[in-house]
Amino acid sequence: MSEANNEGNTGSVAPAREEPNHLRRAIIIWVVLSVIGIALVIVLAQFILPPTASELGNTDNFTLTLLTALAVPVALFVFVFLAYSMLVFRVKEKPTQDAVPLKPRPSLPIVWMGITGALCLFLVIYGLFAFYQETSASSTNTLVVKVTAQQWQWSFDYPQNGASSAGAQLIELPVNRPVQFNVTSDDVLHGFAILALGVRVDANPGEVTTTAIVTPTVIGSYTVVCVELCGLFHSYMWEQVKVVSVADFNSWITSQGGHP
Amino acid sequence: MSQVSITAEVKRPNLTRRLFPSVVSGIVLGIIGAVVFGVIVNAITQGNNQDATVVSVYIGWVLLFFVGIGAFNGVWRWGFARGEATPAEELELAGKDQGLWRYFRYTTDHKVVGMQYLATTLIFFFLGSMGAFMIRLEQSRPGAIFFTPSTYNTIVGMHGILMIVASIIMVSGPFGNFVLPIMIGARDMAFPRLNALSYWLLFSAVPIFFSTLFFGGFPTGWTGYAPLSVQELTPGMDAYCVTIIIFAASTTLAALNIVTTVMVLRTRGMTWGRLPIFVWGVVLSVLLGLSAFPTFLISQVMVLMDRVFQTSFFIAAYGGNNWLYEHLFWFMGHPEVYVIALPSMAVAAEVTAVFSRKTVFGRRMLIGSLVTITILSALVWGHHLYTSGSATALDAPYMLDTELISIPTGFFFLALIGTFWRGKVWVTVPLLFVGGMLVNFVIGGITGIYLADLPTDEILHGGMFVTAHFHFTLVGSMVFGFFAGFYYWFPKMLGKRLNPRLGALHFWLFMIGFNGTFLSLFYAGLIGEPRWSANVAPPFATANLIASLFAILIAASVFVTVYNVVITLKSGELAEANEWGGKTLEWTVPTPVPLENFEHLPVVTSTPYDYGTPEPLAEDAEGALKPAPLLPQPES
Repeated sequence: MSEANNEGNTGSVAPAREEPNHLRRAIIIWVVLSVIGIALVIVLAQFILPPTASELGNTDNFTLTLLTALAVPVALFVFVFLAYSMLVFRVKEKPTQDAVPLKPRPSLPIVWMGITGALCLFLVIYGLFAFYQETSASSTNTLVVKVTAQQWQWSFDYPQNGASSAGAQLIELPVNRPVQFNVTSDDVLHGFAILALGVRVDANPGEVTTTAIVTPTVIGSYTVVCVELCGLFHSYMWEQVKVVSVADFNSWITSQGGHP
Repeated sequence: MSQVSITAEVKRPNLTRRLFPSVVSGIVLGIIGAVVFGVIVNAITQGNNQDATVVSVYIGWVLLFFVGIGAFNGVWRWGFARGEATPAEELELAGKDQGLWRYFRYTTDHKVVGMQYLATTLIFFFLGSMGAFMIRLEQSRPGAIFFTPSTYNTIVGMHGILMIVASIIMVSGPFGNFVLPIMIGARDMAFPRLNALSYWLLFSAVPIFFSTLFFGGFPTGWTGYAPLSVQELTPGMDAYCVTIIIFAASTTLAALNIVTTVMVLRTRGMTWGRLPIFVWGVVLSVLLGLSAFPTFLISQVMVLMDRVFQTSFFIAAYGGNNWLYEHLFWFMGHPEVYVIALPSMAVAAEVTAVFSRKTVFGRRMLIGSLVTITILSALVWGHHLYTSGSATALDAPYMLDTELISIPTGFFFLALIGTFWRGKVWVTVPLLFVGGMLVNFVIGGITGIYLADLPTDEILHGGMFVTAHFHFTLVGSMVFGFFAGFYYWFPKMLGKRLNPRLGALHFWLFMIGFNGTFLSLFYAGLIGEPRWSANVAPPFATANLIASLFAILIAASVFVTVYNVVITLKSGELAEANEWGGKTLEWTVPTPVPLENFEHLPVVTSTPYDYGTPEPLAEDAEGALKPAPLLPQPES
């Protein structure tokens, strides 16, 4: 913007003598607001974002905060320059004179492309890196849970424990033990999601999709929801998932007809 | 509308001749066709195949509707039965007749088709918004209180389809038909009859779509995901499929027509370099639509085959796969977002230049960015399938491509902000809407990054965050862009001046209500509310209640607009021929625009944004030709 405007000022209509340096003003407003905005994002994020119960969930929340902090100056750039133009350069009546044409200097698109391109590439590389970290986890004592969706309920099998909880309103997971969900569907497309664990994958009929290995770290009660429209009672496809101590889990799995 | 020239109107002796052919006879014959086809197919299938009967009813309706409205009259009389005809009758056969009834006939005049599209768009928006308010009503309280889940799902689906269809046609239909040919200095579209066909195809799909209400609705939402759509037993789903098939055909024909018109009917001197940005936007949009909509058509043909003939494209138990549907759907579904976006963005650029009295900042840079968006957006659809479990290896390229789009979009913002900067910014209703569009587009665009980025999509996919995001892009940005164009071109199209105070009231109610509603839904999405919730769970109740309260402001804005349009049509002031001081060609012709637009086709000697330079845009063919005043700009 800077070069462009200085060039425009040298146009045919000379600006009034005490014309302020609009560009400098707008940039100062933008920088100040951006700093405030970023600070607000960092402070408020912890209140707005949902609590998490796994490493994966923490990473997700960090990524959300990072993206928002990066977005603040980008959005404010548009907001500030737009508001500034509409307030300061406003004319009341139908203008009888035209404005002085502005042309971007050849360097402006290149600079602009450099900045947006760098931001964009950073996001792609960061996203791939974070995603790789999330999905590459492996462990030796993974608890495998087979999830079967059907209209409109979830069934959970624990093949390693020989237990199954078809139709139950509640399942349990042991704390600090890696777990992997193998998700499939009996009828139509469903979406299996536990927000606090950062788990979300579609349940496809005739296919088994595997989630990343995730380790619940906080004892508590969370919800399984369906996130793909699956018909009449889609919005009732909720279930409780409790993350409990290993001892509690063992007694629960026994009560479900399995063995620890 | 009241000042139409009636010079070429054919005298019709009685009511029968007035109604036949017209939309009235079309509907009468269409209903007869529907009944006949339904009875025949029902007899053949011995009543065992409900879906086959319903689909044949729809086919019968469409075929006989076109016979009844006189789509084949001109062709038939000219080809086989041409007798003595007065010039007025010739004009009528060409679909160029005048008078109020031309709006209800198979009229080929591009201005009539544009008006038909405008009325249809506004009615769709009105009905779709009523669906939206019902959704907000249901979601204002936890639990399913006002509607049963089945009704709720149908309302969501109908709201979605109405709004998506309306926003696909909202700019390319009304303004692409009415304004675009005048802008390039043409007397009509390249294929006027095809133009009428594409509008009336859309019209014929409307009763089919609403018939779903009598057949039990459809549970799939606007996306119509298989196998849910195949499994659904009520024939309401067939209505969805046939509607989409007809709509896709209509849009494809319209796209073909617009591309051809711009390629061959530009007037002398209207080089591609001087083409207004609006024309660029529409052409790029319909080019993208040409690749997208046939896929949508095919996907629905396949769903219908699964439903009617028990094939199994999408049934896993018999070797089908639901990923096939998802890919076909989103191969249409994501480019479609840009089909909606590109013309609206172009309207914004057009309006900004006029109301800043300044040439578009970096015009070629802007056009280049629109072209780049068109190319990139054809290959981003896979980001809708990150969590589907299909083709994980392609996640990274899809993500790269999606995020690359932010670069040309950034140039769009640079161009518009640069046009505003140091302009003579005349803040009128169209410009207010451009301002609102830019603000909302920033929010919509940035939240798109969250969904395009793999780690964050993993927690946001299928949630309310997605709903809020695409409402910010489609409604907050593109519908605002449409309203900018609506207030900008209304004086040219209808010859009346919309009340600017009511226009500003519309804007502020809409802007505040919209942001309140969907910022709340962003929050609901962040804390985990899934989409399509007939039954809002208690943790999300507050956010949803706030959203619903803000939606009251949007409802108020809808009724303000309706009131404004009605009183303006009844008793508005007459508008000037060049109401705003625009320099594109449509502002050089009188209002109301005469039948063939120009007495003499203009010769164009410069770009239409030469504010601050004294040369006029166009001369009559008789006028002296001046050399092009604008040299190519030294940029990029």
